[in-house]
Amino acid sequence: MEIMRLVVTGPVGAGKSTFIRSVSEIDVVDTDRRATDEASLLKPKTTVAFDFGRLQFSPDMALHLYGTPGQARFDFMWDILIRRAHAYMLLVAAHRPREFHYARRILSFMQRRSRAPLIIGLTHTDQPGTWDEENILIALGFPNPDRHPPIVSVDATEAGSVAVAIMTLLQHYSQVQQRNVEQPAPHR
Amino acid sequence: MAITGHLVEFSLAEIFQFLEQGHKTGLLTIFEQPEPEPPRGREHYIWFNQGRVVAAANRSDHRGLISSLSQRGLLGDRAASRLAQSCGPKVPLGLYLKSQGILDAEQLKLLFYTQVMRQVCALFSVVDGWFHFDSKAVLPCDEMTGLSAPATEVTLAGLRALRNWSTLEDKLPDPMSTIVALVEGQPNLRLNAVEWQVWEFTGGKDSLQTIAQHLQLPIHKVQEIVFRLNVVGLLEEVPMMVLEAETTHQHDEEDELQPTSSLHDSTVSQSFLNNLVSFLKHKV
Repeated sequence: MEIMRLVVTGPVGAGKSTFIRSVSEIDVVDTDRRATDEASLLKPKTTVAFDFGRLQFSPDMALHLYGTPGQARFDFMWDILIRRAHAYMLLVAAHRPREFHYARRILSFMQRRSRAPLIIGLTHTDQPGTWDEENILIALGFPNPDRHPPIVSVDATEAGSVAVAIMTLLQHYSQVQQRNVEQPAPHR
Repeated sequence: MAITGHLVEFSLAEIFQFLEQGHKTGLLTIFEQPEPEPPRGREHYIWFNQGRVVAAANRSDHRGLISSLSQRGLLGDRAASRLAQSCGPKVPLGLYLKSQGILDAEQLKLLFYTQVMRQVCALFSVVDGWFHFDSKAVLPCDEMTGLSAPATEVTLAGLRALRNWSTLEDKLPDPMSTIVALVEGQPNLRLNAVEWQVWEFTGGKDSLQTIAQHLQLPIHKVQEIVFRLNVVGLLEEVPMMVLEAETTHQHDEEDELQPTSSLHDSTVSQSFLNNLVSFLKHKV
């Protein structure tokens, strides 16, 4: 079975669970569970949760979607998820500047832990007070208009819109793979 | 482009970071009022040019600098107004007065410090307020000394003076995270003693909690310092990884999440991608 693992990350309320639910063929599993041994040493009562969705489109091919935990200060589950991801998407609610700082922190964390291709998905772009793409990119730490990850608007409640966002991520993944073949990185 | 928001949502420090990194030009207005609608409370104006602060005022008649000159006894109100009229439309008043021998460089610096640093730094303590940034606003030469300061410098000074951090509480770094430098070598901004001490720990090895213990500082002090050094682009907070993914042992049912090295570098085949795209196209 060939499996591709995509991680959907972002601040609480960005639409991660809805995004996965919109496209998953199984009921999204909210994997509330006890922390593992090492984590429990740090926080004995910590439970962590992540969303899991699946899309099987051929007898031997499936897409797995993982949503990062909602807890603002929890990171070990992110680490496990991102290290296993083929690619990931940062979802950001375009009308909630309060979360930009945190989104930036997530991004920084992810980029330190993984070189997997990334795109940014903007949700809630129809809400009042929505920031435009250019300004959100600056707020996320991409001031150079020529150097930033692909960015796409997505309605997390619409399967079609989510499909388009995933296709954008796949396309970017494919381009990065192609580039890596042409110019292999010296080391990972 | 115009952006409006509540300072609780997007703090002044973040606004300044955004304007500097985006090299924005325009007028930032701060309204000291809980709601954006009138009646309006006190208003403050800060002008930016390419991400640098060039002027500030708490009046909208463009007579703030003239008034400041008069208050300091540098020039009479009437004389300053007359000179302002003879100043070219694109020449900052301060520079014009210097070219006329009315002000010297030190006086100009002092004027700028009073107008911008002192006035703007005080705004970091505004808790209940709104901001509006208008990139189409014209820079007011009558309010400009001709000097400018990077927004980061103003932010650093403003946050140093800040006493009430309650609105920034949820943006402060996690005490269990660590810090890494974002600049090579020495910081390009002038740090105070305690900031330097924290800066020394940007090796990514110690948690903020540990740093606080080493420096014998309350943890919230270290969090505040890290926040301000972060928004001025000197360092960043990185979650401390107490659990290395390679040594993680997950439960059997979470097989898919096992971080094994063989899968770590795995790639997906082109046929997989083609099939998946075809499948997704049917959902659009």
